[in-house]
Amino acid sequence: MKRRPLQSDFEREALPHLGALYAAALRMTRNEKDAEDLVQDALLRAYRFFDTFQAGTNCKAWLFRILTNVFCNRYREREREQVVLSEAESSPANLEQFLAGTGADARDTETALLGQMVSADVEKALAAVPSDFRMAVILADLEDFSYKEIAEIMDCPAGTVMSRLFRGRKILQGLLRDYAVEQGIIRDPAAVPSRDADAPVDLAAYRRRRDRGEAS
Amino acid sequence: MICAEVDTCVQTYVDGELAGVDREVVERHLVGCPACAGRVRLEARFKAAVRAHLPRPEVPLAFRLRIEKSLATQSIAPLRWPWLSYPRLVPAAAALVLLVAITGTVRESQSGLLQQAQRSYRAEMPMDITGSDCGSIASWFRGRVDFSMHAPALGGGATCQGGRLVNVGERPAAYLIYRMQTGHRVAFLVFDPRDQSFEAPERRVVNGREIYVEAGPGISTATYRDRGLGYVVTSDIDEDALTRLVTTSFGR
Repeated sequence: MKRRPLQSDFEREALPHLGALYAAALRMTRNEKDAEDLVQDALLRAYRFFDTFQAGTNCKAWLFRILTNVFCNRYREREREQVVLSEAESSPANLEQFLAGTGADARDTETALLGQMVSADVEKALAAVPSDFRMAVILADLEDFSYKEIAEIMDCPAGTVMSRLFRGRKILQGLLRDYAVEQGIIRDPAAVPSRDADAPVDLAAYRRRRDRGEAS
Repeated sequence: MICAEVDTCVQTYVDGELAGVDREVVERHLVGCPACAGRVRLEARFKAAVRAHLPRPEVPLAFRLRIEKSLATQSIAPLRWPWLSYPRLVPAAAALVLLVAITGTVRESQSGLLQQAQRSYRAEMPMDITGSDCGSIASWFRGRVDFSMHAPALGGGATCQGGRLVNVGERPAAYLIYRMQTGHRVAFLVFDPRDQSFEAPERRVVNGREIYVEAGPGISTATYRDRGLGYVVTSDIDEDALTRLVTTSFGR
């Protein structure tokens, strides 16, 4: 018979992820008190249900799934007024100019725009990304979850993960570009035509073409 | 593969999520296309730069201590498995297992669908589309689900809140959220009922139509067919009120 898990098992398996949970909660709720409440609720819930966790499986993903559920239950109402940015607002940044900086240093990758921005700017930009997209970016780019794991955590198909991630990054790039323009770090890129189509990820279309022998 | 096609999967490639022949095709293209190779490098640098600028904040010590203290006041699996703490309940548990085994033949086939509906309801996952216009939300699903989608018309001043694309079995399905005037949330899972079993915990017949009802802890579920589609309706109202509510949506 399976041994009943102990508090020490939970402390060994789950508590090492406290830092990751707190960081994600802080970026989702955007304030320390709510982040602490969210993590505490999620961890206590995980603790009460720890007997349902299968030892040897991905504890971090299991905890993030609970955290995401608690976040959606509790904070979703507040987020509702935040309308998803329109296509016009989320037009993609000209990534090349955005990363390469400006003027004489334009080709010097070491003076990349992000190198000139402080973490606070990037935090501020991420905080302004609508929550579904922000969650996808946090899970993929800061916590290294795979698309499959994110699909399980966010309870949505993998295709939805890809499109949320794609749009989340584009919105983030757009917001960072706006800050950079405000601060005079780069020229207004509105004048520079963007070659970056906002098309969603569509490998299926390519595969269909390939299967018909039209693609090289 | 042409540049526009590579462009649509640059992020997937940078995330290491392209595999097999797709990955090989992209890599072959990148070798001969400096523009696309540059684009891949930029995306990878953006990803790395964002990460470098967003270090993990320190967990406040007082908070860490609070967590550890609150764990000490809780227990794992409280009350859910009482026979583990009280061995004299083992015979009662065995009797319960027998009872569940007998009734389980009815419940088992439906449990996956019901569990999915109840889990989604509790999780309150983000919607793919939000708005109060049921017609627009139904339109959004056209082309995304392989059946003709109409938002059920509910009485009692219920308004649409949003919709989300989900899967039932291997097929795409629609998940719609309504809010009633009383504040209760009602979720409709609308799906292609082929291959789905409608056997039930409790079968009711209202106006000549079968509705399968389950009263769960805090929420109830009603499952039925209407005009060739399958529905699982979940809400935090009791099963009688839910039955009345879904009956209002029939044939309207």
